[in-house]
Amino acid sequence: MIRSNRPPRLLLIPLMAILSFAGCQSDEEPSPVESDGIHIENPWARPASEGRMSAIYLTLTQYGEPADTLLGASSDIAHLVEIHESYEADDGLMGMRHVELVPIPAGESIHLEQGGLHIMLIQLQHAVSSGDQIELTLHFARAGDLPVQVPVKTEENP
Amino acid sequence: MNPTMIPLSPHKSVRFRFNMANGHLRICVLLLLVIGLTSCGPDRMDDYSDLSIKLTNQNGETVQFPEDFRGKPVMVGFIYTHCPDICSFITANLYKTWQELDETGDAHFLLITFDPERDTPDILASYADSFNMNRAPFQFLTGSPENIERLMERFSVRKQVSYTTETEEGNEIYFLNHTDKVLLIDQESRLVMDYGGSMTPVHIFKTDLEPLL
Repeated sequence: MIRSNRPPRLLLIPLMAILSFAGCQSDEEPSPVESDGIHIENPWARPASEGRMSAIYLTLTQYGEPADTLLGASSDIAHLVEIHESYEADDGLMGMRHVELVPIPAGESIHLEQGGLHIMLIQLQHAVSSGDQIELTLHFARAGDLPVQVPVKTEENP
Repeated sequence: MNPTMIPLSPHKSVRFRFNMANGHLRICVLLLLVIGLTSCGPDRMDDYSDLSIKLTNQNGETVQFPEDFRGKPVMVGFIYTHCPDICSFITANLYKTWQELDETGDAHFLLITFDPERDTPDILASYADSFNMNRAPFQFLTGSPENIERLMERFSVRKQVSYTTETEEGNEIYFLNHTDKVLLIDQESRLVMDYGGSMTPVHIFKTDLEPLL
């Protein structure tokens, strides 16, 4: 006698319905993006109006070997996309500077976070509000180009 | 060892008698007295009552600082809208402070730009919209370059151009290094506290603001 491990069809139908509904949730956190050992986690961006600036924050982890390097980012949402870093200058003023590339050592995480490294969206083509998604592409030396969906939120963990 | 005796007269004079050999205890008592005396009344860091500076809010309405804000405590942050990181942090901190007060605190929350050439009332209104702050008790203020400079000098808020970049269309954009600051001002336009604007935990703002409400 052959015994099947497959679940009965009557159970499959509601299961598929639940899964398909779950997939429609727009406010879900995006799944981590992974390629060639690079993980991209917890992306989020601040709301901003047309013509203004926004910042994208996320965590990059290189789980495998060897190290990789973030070379830049691009998005149609802004006239210019640059990697920036907020820092405290010698005179006590807070400043922001352009960063050409971000090394990601093997086995380590790099946090792009408030008050530090961030991806700067300069002169937005249109306003972005809470609940919107920004399409961003990150450019890595080894992993190549990785697309990321970035949710717009007023704060990281509201 | 005899205990410290601080007999309090029922009359106006207060007599202190230190009948003890231990010098450390004596220092402790004096220290407590100093702390007690300094906490008796408000010891303000500055008084802005002498200022009268014309500014414009995000709705295009003229306001006079500090006259129009007397009678309520005021939290003031300093920003420019081309700064999406530190200044957004400062702006969000004031919003969260208001939320922490159960959104009922009777205080003014002001964000004043130190980049008046670019931050017009319309620009400030759209910036306020993106933070859901284009409403009372928040006001985003700009003014003439001369008035803003005078105000920033008094608040010890400094700025300098850090670098410029150019979009593909050839538009030049400059960024500023700037002081990261939030001030707490009391009902009589006196400075209560001067904070780092972006990194100060919101519960500290709340704790200092609540006694003034």
